[in-house]
Amino acid sequence: MNNYHFGRGRARLAPYLLLLPGFLFYVVIMLGPAIATGAYSFTDASGIQGTTVNWIGLENYREFLFMGQASLDNYAALWRTLIFAFSVTSIQFTLGLILAMLVNQRLKGVNVFRTIFFMPVILGAVIQGLIWSLFLYPLGGPLASLLGVFGVRSEFLGGQPSEAIAWVIFVQIWANLGVTMMIFIAGLQTIPEDLYEGARMDGANAWQMFRNVTWPLLTPSVNTNLLLNIIGSLQAWQLFLVLLGYRNGTQVLGYLIFAQGFGQTSGSVTSAFRQGYAASASIVLFCLVLVIGLPVQYYLQRREKRVLG
Amino acid sequence: MFNRRSVLISLSIALAMILAASGAAGPAAPAADAPAAAPAAPAAEKVTLRVLIHQNPPMVEFMNTFNEQFQAKYPEITVDMAIVNASELSTVTQTRLTANDIDVIDMFGFSNQAQPYMQNVAAPNWQTLIDAGLLMDITEQPFIKNYDQAAITDAGTYNGKVYQVNLGRVSYSGIYYNKDLFTANNVAVPTTWSELVAACATFKAAGVECMTAGGKDGWPIFVGAYGLIGASYPNQAQLVEGLWTGSTKWNDAKALDMWSKMQIYARDMMEPGASGIAGDAAPGRFASGAVAMFPGGTWYASAIEAAEPGFAWGYIPFPGSDNAEENKFLFGKYDQGWAIAGKSPNQDAAVKYLTEFSEPANYQAFANAVGFIPTQPGATLDSPIGAEVAPYLENFRVGYEQYWVAPKGAGEYANPFASYFKPFGTYEDVQTLADKVQADLQSGLDASK
Repeated sequence: MNNYHFGRGRARLAPYLLLLPGFLFYVVIMLGPAIATGAYSFTDASGIQGTTVNWIGLENYREFLFMGQASLDNYAALWRTLIFAFSVTSIQFTLGLILAMLVNQRLKGVNVFRTIFFMPVILGAVIQGLIWSLFLYPLGGPLASLLGVFGVRSEFLGGQPSEAIAWVIFVQIWANLGVTMMIFIAGLQTIPEDLYEGARMDGANAWQMFRNVTWPLLTPSVNTNLLLNIIGSLQAWQLFLVLLGYRNGTQVLGYLIFAQGFGQTSGSVTSAFRQGYAASASIVLFCLVLVIGLPVQYYLQRREKRVLG
Repeated sequence: MFNRRSVLISLSIALAMILAASGAAGPAAPAADAPAAAPAAPAAEKVTLRVLIHQNPPMVEFMNTFNEQFQAKYPEITVDMAIVNASELSTVTQTRLTANDIDVIDMFGFSNQAQPYMQNVAAPNWQTLIDAGLLMDITEQPFIKNYDQAAITDAGTYNGKVYQVNLGRVSYSGIYYNKDLFTANNVAVPTTWSELVAACATFKAAGVECMTAGGKDGWPIFVGAYGLIGASYPNQAQLVEGLWTGSTKWNDAKALDMWSKMQIYARDMMEPGASGIAGDAAPGRFASGAVAMFPGGTWYASAIEAAEPGFAWGYIPFPGSDNAEENKFLFGKYDQGWAIAGKSPNQDAAVKYLTEFSEPANYQAFANAVGFIPTQPGATLDSPIGAEVAPYLENFRVGYEQYWVAPKGAGEYANPFASYFKPFGTYEDVQTLADKVQADLQSGLDASK
């Protein structure tokens, strides 16, 4: 029996031809620039059309990783990126799961809550940043007024770097929680109700049902969410730009790359475009994502096989 | 039955998608070909002139009026003006120039370039743009002659050719003060640092915040304290050379005095919450009467007037020293200028635009609107800010920012910024910060050897 619906001979080319536009799009938009970034990282490219591009070997990497205090600042940005990614991933994952379980109940008005929780996702980073900049306005903004009642003052986004980063973590979670929640809801809805009924008949309590029924069967959603959260937060930079701008002690690697590539560093009006250098920082970030992402993915896949067979 | 039909359908779909994709890029093609063809086009041909400026409300207002006037004179030219935040100007300039999507550009920092004693520094972006052929050589354009030769040489010339007309100098080391609040609280206009500290104490005791700044944009906090650098280092070209050669340190006794004052400025003088005020909202905050003083550049004057017409304000050099004679200097820089895109298809229209702008009457109106110290010989600063700075113009000095280029490898704290202190930064101890700033700078200097 032939299950191949496109026939024989030249007809077998049909699926490949259908794939061709998507593949070309992928090569032009994704793969090509990724390879070009790797090549650029060994040059002094400014990113400006018409300038001479010289091959400078590992000089960008030497500068990024080993040249003076600036390289130590880069390591600090790298460490900050890891803290940001860990905080966002762990909190967003946990909250997303809790919310998904709450709004997966058969209750009146639950769709309204799903919509409310998902709504921030459809706003762009600029709108998200604007909303929270206004909310955190230190001169009579809503939160400043509330804290003022207790005699507490804060500069929020413009004050201590640790506090500013904490607010970006908060906004990042607020902005993306809806996606995590929806993936979990999709996972929860694939779990057959009779498994819960069976568990109840066996006398299982709520925690036992979660631990032995929900959690194992949610494995695909857990894996998807963990990977999306880890990679997304390691690469995050837009909210740092919108909420904080270039401020000492707050940059993460993603924003550092943007700032170097487009001359947005502070400290001098003489900004310079350094896209070759920014490309080397991108490769460092890529390696970081790879070093963290691959083992996590390997572990999660093994776990999925073990749990679901 | 699927065989031929499915292949045909697949081919048709694939072809349609490829054609659609290439079709989407289609309209860009004539634009790319246009540079060669457009300059030869007849004068009456409709042209859309794309102009890029940065956000500065008085300038935007002036430019809107000027554009209407220009379009009335040249009906075949339509001006399409884009406005971006100052911090994004270089990025947008780069992308739009590279895409050949802009004709006239407003540029900053043209006068800054690496000095002979500087090593291992990145070329400033304007130099990269010129080297790439992205800015037009305007050396032979007649409107150049309308400007001071010194301004053209210092802030428009590279390798013997002119690429920019600079539109004016600004002072950034002054303080606006609210005359009514000073009178009501019986405070004299401060001429020394001690008087300034005392004035702030008086205002605070009366429940009035002393100073504000547009801290959300970052730079207004530290630029507001540039007068303190001027008080300690009147010759700032020498300061920069000293920092590069090691004869001046950011943690020596003189610098420690400057840092101590900067801490007082950030901690005690600036109003709490200033970090949340947007740069273009700060003049309005000052004009509202909520604060007594506003350290900032001359470019804010028009915005203050627009926010509260009739508001009585004055402008003084930042009194950073306890010797009043040392506080009579204004520090500043060459501000923005116009350049034309080197590959613009509309260079004739762009030249007409700058020619019209450079007409003495138009330039005078511009200088009055934005409060620039003029770079045209016949122009005067006929505005309230002009009257305020007139007594100090003889003592105008080019400031630190104009000369400074950081060495590669220097840390992020290698600058004399008051915003490093709490509540805007992390530092509370003067000596600790001074050592950190010097170490961050030294690290870059060592790396460049």
